[in-house]
Amino acid sequence: MRRLAFVVAAAWQGFWRNPAMSVASTLTVALMLVLATFFAITNRGLQQAVALLEQKVELVLYLEDSARPTEILALKSRIEADPAVQSVAFISKEQAIERLRQATERSRDLALGELDNNPLPASLEVKLARAQEAGRLASTLRREEGLGVVSEIVDNPAVVDNLLTITRVLSIGGIAVLVMMLLVTLFVIVNTIRIAVTARRDEIEIMRLVGASDRLIRWPFILEGMLVGAFGAVLALTAIGAGAPAVADALTQFAGIVPLDFSPVFLAQLGGAVFGFALLVGAAGAGWSVRAHLTA
Amino acid sequence: MIALDDVSKCYPNGAYALRDLDLRIETGEFAFLVGSSGAGKSTLIRLLVRDELPTTGRVRVDGADVAKLKGSAVSKLRQRVGVVFQDFKLLPQRTVAENVEFALLVTGHTGRKEAEAAEHALSLVGLAHRRHHFPRELSGGEQQRTAIARALVSHPRLVIADEPTGNLDPVTSWEIIKLLVRVNELGTTLVIATHNADIVNALRRRVIHLDHGRIVRDEREGQYAA
Ligand SMILES: Nc1ncnc2c1ncn2[C@@H]1O[C@H](COP(=O)(O)OP(=O)(O)O)[C@@H](O)[C@H]1O
Ligand SMILES: [Mg+2]
Repeated sequence: MRRLAFVVAAAWQGFWRNPAMSVASTLTVALMLVLATFFAITNRGLQQAVALLEQKVELVLYLEDSARPTEILALKSRIEADPAVQSVAFISKEQAIERLRQATERSRDLALGELDNNPLPASLEVKLARAQEAGRLASTLRREEGLGVVSEIVDNPAVVDNLLTITRVLSIGGIAVLVMMLLVTLFVIVNTIRIAVTARRDEIEIMRLVGASDRLIRWPFILEGMLVGAFGAVLALTAIGAGAPAVADALTQFAGIVPLDFSPVFLAQLGGAVFGFALLVGAAGAGWSVRAHLTA
Repeated sequence: MIALDDVSKCYPNGAYALRDLDLRIETGEFAFLVGSSGAGKSTLIRLLVRDELPTTGRVRVDGADVAKLKGSAVSKLRQRVGVVFQDFKLLPQRTVAENVEFALLVTGHTGRKEAEAAEHALSLVGLAHRRHHFPRELSGGEQQRTAIARALVSHPRLVIADEPTGNLDPVTSWEIIKLLVRVNELGTTLVIATHNADIVNALRRRVIHLDHGRIVRDEREGQYAA
């Protein structure tokens, strides 16, 4: 019990012995955490947007009026066999015109008169399980065009393609920035703890002399690193709490489709993750430093 | 208590501090380690507390081969060996009593019995009345007595002192040596490295003379110089 008190007291004193250095490393940790959080939220929003769009992605194969039902069925089951495909629906000429009627009823200026014959083709509507595959599937299916069954293929996954590209670029760029920030943070913590080790050199020498365990000699520094992490996390979460609503508003206005989720559960998870990550980084930096500067 | 067999110590820079040492010091003995500066006295002491490992040969302290000790066994060895230095090595922010208790605190001995042990060690060195003072408020002799109390508080079987009177005037030096003689009389083995010829000559105890890392003289009731 008193040894625990000793470790805590030593860590606390270590933190305040060199306030400038400790505050600097705390700020670095906080900055990294804010960036990481911003990145995580944005990435999550984008991923949700992609998921939302993925549900809507369709390829439509318009069919020749002359196509025979057996040919259509064969084509349908071939498409269904592709793992990227979720489902394939057959829309007959009658269903197509019915849909058009319903759509035009809602907007009166586009009133549809009686038609002598049905100009709309039957079609196969392909729902995709994985939007990334839309391009590949479309180009495969394009080979069916003009063979007597398929008259035309319409795919419009450009939006999804763009969004996927953005997400990918953001992920790679974000991870690169975060890794760099993480290295900077570790570097600062390692140095903070190195200075703390130097400041307590005499005490460490005496502890060795009287037979204190290595663990007891090391733990105050590890805890000091975790303290830097914890303060950084508190700072970061405060900043995020203060700035999040404004940023969320801006993001929603900028891209209405990005569904930013700020439910209490998500916020709690986020806070926990930020805190845990901060403690981990603090302990890792300190452990590294102690390993390098405290070898007997 | 101490057994060195064919021990040599070569520092990483290639300097040989000790060469082919064979030495036995029995339990309860009182031995002086003499020799000019650089003879290897401090190196020998560092080997005994496993601050350094021998380059060749075997060092045994209290039955254990120090090179074979792992992890907490090293801590346990150091708890059984009290060490005193020329520069006292006290913590300036802690009082006399806290400095002594520190040795118990950081080795996990924190009961009421240990507080009594600290009190007992302080009265043994005659510093009970100074327990709430800080090191800077003490004379050199009092600081060294605090360090001795810290070395004694865990009831070591062996106490090693590296030039314990090096920073003290002759009168105070005598007080410290008399204190160490009393510790020895209470049953603790004592090894003292020293430059103080007067003290060595007056006490007529065992003298182990090191020169350039070799034992050149080992006498039962020796003098500082041959
Ligand atoms: N850490 C060290 N690294 C290299 N050489 C050392 C070290 N400590 C002592 N020496 C050398 O070993 C020899 C013995 O030193 P030391 O044991 O301190 O002698 P003494 O205590 O008798 O003055 C000296 O030549 C000294 O320069
Ligand atoms: Mg020396």
